Amino acid sequence: MNVSELAAKANYRIYSQGEDRAVEHGYCGDFLSNIISRAPDSCAWLTVMNNVNVAAVATLIDCACIILCEKVEPDAALAARAASLGIWVLGADEDVFGAAKQVAALCGV
Amino acid sequence: MDCVRLEYDVDGENFASAGNASESVKRTLKQLGVSPASVRRVAIAMYEGEINMVIHAHGGKAIAEIYPDHIGIYLKDSGPGIADIDLAMKAGYSTATENIRSLGFGAGMGLPNMKKYSDEMTIDSTVGVGTTVYLRIDF
Ligand SMILES: Nc1ncnc2c1ncn2[C@@H]1O[C@H](COP(=O)(O)OP(=O)(O)O)[C@@H](O)[C@H]1O
Ligand SMILES: [Mg+2]
Repeated sequence: MNVSELAAKANYRIYSQGEDRAVEHGYCGDFLSNIISRAPDSCAWLTVMNNVNVAAVATLIDCACIILCEKVEPDAALAARAASLGIWVLGADEDVFGAAKQVAALCGV
Repeated sequence: MDCVRLEYDVDGENFASAGNASESVKRTLKQLGVSPASVRRVAIAMYEGEINMVIHAHGGKAIAEIYPDHIGIYLKDSGPGIADIDLAMKAGYSTATENIRSLGFGAGMGLPNMKKYSDEMTIDSTVGVGTTVYLRIDF
């Protein structure tokens, strides 16, 4: 399932958009060292981190989208950087576990 | 031998630009047709080195020399230096402050990741003078 369809079906907020790719994996984490070394390509990355470094890491790992969980909103610097780099940033009300279950069910990952 | 040489100033005061050098090198390698697996290893190792200069050393210089079969990366700073390199290399060891950890850094996995994803890594560090890390990644 593509990112736009996931956002619509799961009712996620859309903070910024990019290339509408298929979500092929999932990864949950907040420590950037873990994410950069472990998150698979084309994953949905679920996190509660909302600072600007999240955008740099997302570009380096080539994730399909970032999902900010627990109603976390991107800070101004993250929102600006994600928009300029063309990175999908979505927002979920659920906690990381709950959102991961939704992504798994909807995307079959 | 001819190589593509890229040089970056890594700003130690500005988290917003942290990762720019690694992103730029990644883009260049992709354009040169380097395999995605090798590009990924470079991105991991270089990002960790770049971030270390930002969070531990007030910034520095990143130099990438791209050859047909490998890349050499030099991360040079004039920061505080590393007193005990063996200790610094331990997984989970970090001197990052709580404030830095709240930004998602400071897992203590940077140097171990750089070692894991590179084919050669040397750390040259003098306390009070600075640190130079060399990374070679074969394609
Ligand atoms: N360029 C550097 N200058 C000074 N100290 C450094 C540098 N790079 C790493 N260190 C020291 O080594 C420790 C371990 O580094 P690393 O494995 O990257 O973990 P982290 O950056 O998460 O603390 C750091 O906490 C710091 O004390
Ligand atoms: Mg580090």
